[in-house]
Amino acid sequence: MKTLSILIGKIMVLLGRLLNRGSVLPGYYALKIDKHLLEKITLPKNIIAVTGSNGKGSTSSLIVHILRSNGYKVTYNDKGSNLTNGITSAILEDISLSGKLKSDFLVMEVDERFTKHIFKTIKPNFVVITNIGRDQPPRQGHIDIVANDIKSALNKNMTLILNGDDPYLRQFVGKNIYYGIDKNRYSYTQNMFTSLDMNYCPNCHNKLEYNYYHFENDGDYYCSKCNFKRPNIDYLVTNIDYKNNTITVNNKYIIDMGYNILFSIYNTMAAFSLANILKLNIEKTIQAIKDMKKDTKIYHTYEYKNRLVTVLNNKNENNSTFNQSLLYIDRFKDQKVIVIGWKEISRRYEYDDLSWLYDIDFEILNKKNLECVVCVGIHAYDIATRIKLANISEDKIITYDTLEKATNYIKKKTKGNIYGILNFDYVKPFNELMEGQNDN
Amino acid sequence: MTINIGHLYYDILNLYGASGDVKAIKNYLEKQNIKVNIKFMTLNDEINLDDIDILYIGGGTENNQDLVLKHIKKYKKEILKYIEDNKLLIATSNSIELFGKTIDTKKALNIFDFNSTRVSFRIVDEAYFKFLNIPIIGFQNQGSVIKDIKENNLFEVLRGTGSFPKSKFEGYHYKNFYGTYLIGPILARNPKLLVYLMNNLIKSKDKKYKINKNILKIEEKAFQNFINLHYNNI
Repeated sequence: MKTLSILIGKIMVLLGRLLNRGSVLPGYYALKIDKHLLEKITLPKNIIAVTGSNGKGSTSSLIVHILRSNGYKVTYNDKGSNLTNGITSAILEDISLSGKLKSDFLVMEVDERFTKHIFKTIKPNFVVITNIGRDQPPRQGHIDIVANDIKSALNKNMTLILNGDDPYLRQFVGKNIYYGIDKNRYSYTQNMFTSLDMNYCPNCHNKLEYNYYHFENDGDYYCSKCNFKRPNIDYLVTNIDYKNNTITVNNKYIIDMGYNILFSIYNTMAAFSLANILKLNIEKTIQAIKDMKKDTKIYHTYEYKNRLVTVLNNKNENNSTFNQSLLYIDRFKDQKVIVIGWKEISRRYEYDDLSWLYDIDFEILNKKNLECVVCVGIHAYDIATRIKLANISEDKIITYDTLEKATNYIKKKTKGNIYGILNFDYVKPFNELMEGQNDN
Repeated sequence: MTINIGHLYYDILNLYGASGDVKAIKNYLEKQNIKVNIKFMTLNDEINLDDIDILYIGGGTENNQDLVLKHIKKYKKEILKYIEDNKLLIATSNSIELFGKTIDTKKALNIFDFNSTRVSFRIVDEAYFKFLNIPIIGFQNQGSVIKDIKENNLFEVLRGTGSFPKSKFEGYHYKNFYGTYLIGPILARNPKLLVYLMNNLIKSKDKKYKINKNILKIEEKAFQNFINLHYNNI
């Protein structure tokens, strides 16, 4: 049974390659033939899982790149999905017919709701949890449900690599290692975001206070009534230099990330912390982070007739991705034309929940240097309503049902630098219409 | 004219864009040249409703609802008086449950005669309801149901789920208490409902107040486009 299912799986992998399609089918068929397959195979000693609401794809691919740059053979589910079949497919690709995975590391990007299924048979010894935030509420319900699923998948022997700036992650208990960011010129002391996930101390329900914030709930938090506070940070960003895209860690290592955006710092720190825990060569690791190919789908800038175009990739039904974009945009004091829109709210289901638009602090845009906000797509007027309720005057709010009309307007009638706060399904068509480069 | 909004548990019952309803209220009233104050009240605060004209409560996680329940029960007398005095109270998402008799085995405020049950499934559904003759759009995302509201329903279900699977009605309406599981935020997405509630309030404070019309054009278009997109066949 085991050999047969591996064989069938491997044939499916080859077929997929011939058809130029990475897919979840090898895993699907192999598990159909032998549903206990994963229990019977020999896995490498080092298994790394990366999960969380945001950044698990970028973080896991950076970890894999670092490991490979250090000379290790790595199995990674980069082609398939981050559910059971996708991970099984990745394993089948590298496994011997006798059932031994011939890699030094298995790195899995795992959907946060699937950790409880996958960790039953594949127990990672290292788990990176990037963050838990509001994401696809129709599918996830709310964050406590997601957190409880992950908690049920963990055990105390696992080494957890966590963002120490996030109080919500404190509920996860293993051998915890924390990364974080020290006070810097971009941290702030007055809360900027309204719909925070955690405002109260989990022990005594007193309101949490902050010495400083970096973003949403992230920062140096403490409870003034008990001893709950930000833990000791093992890997601390002691300086941020966005001009040169670099960070300094523990006053010692300067890392060139290639990005100048906050979530890249956290993703990079998760990978860098893990590299340290695994005792990888630090110079090689820093070089690997620098050499990592930059993902222009996530963040992209180019020029249109001497105007800077910045395209920020967001996920609908996920307020943190939009809030990150707003925090980023707010760093620049130039005259701004903002574009917000999507083709569809979700590919997963038919209904259109819009409540998440009100968990985003679009009020941040309401500054003197705002030229206009162009709202685009089938829900252009829903977006416009949200922008209006951020107290932005109605003569600055423009609506179009298509990107063609919107970009036409932007090119002909506006002057300022252009910032696209777009759902991922609008990024490519927007870039094409703005005559920018698109590598993918 | 001055109107005082009380946003109760703004930082703990803050799921599903709840702050949007308060933003919609504030924006509409300010466009009517009314001065608006928002009083934020939450856990560990004294709740004083003396000056409040509109009290708003949104929904939260089950854990947070439990914390709120302990706190709000200390102010039952104030809240009951507020409701009986015909003052406007809007409770959305699972905060409607606080006003019933029980939430599972826990005693709630016991102001209204219904019980809430946390269930093993979630109701996740688009809603197309009716209030008086006003069509209402919104969304449901909840892990609990109320099965025993016999009278005083707020909405008639045209499409969607309602207070429990396959129910014909949703929500609770008594005097100026409006309780609904709907998220939306419903006042940001239903301009006609917002106008109805706000104009009634304005008129109750000053019968002759001159109300501006046509200040919710963007909201009306959003509403109409959504109906066309999803409910064109009704």
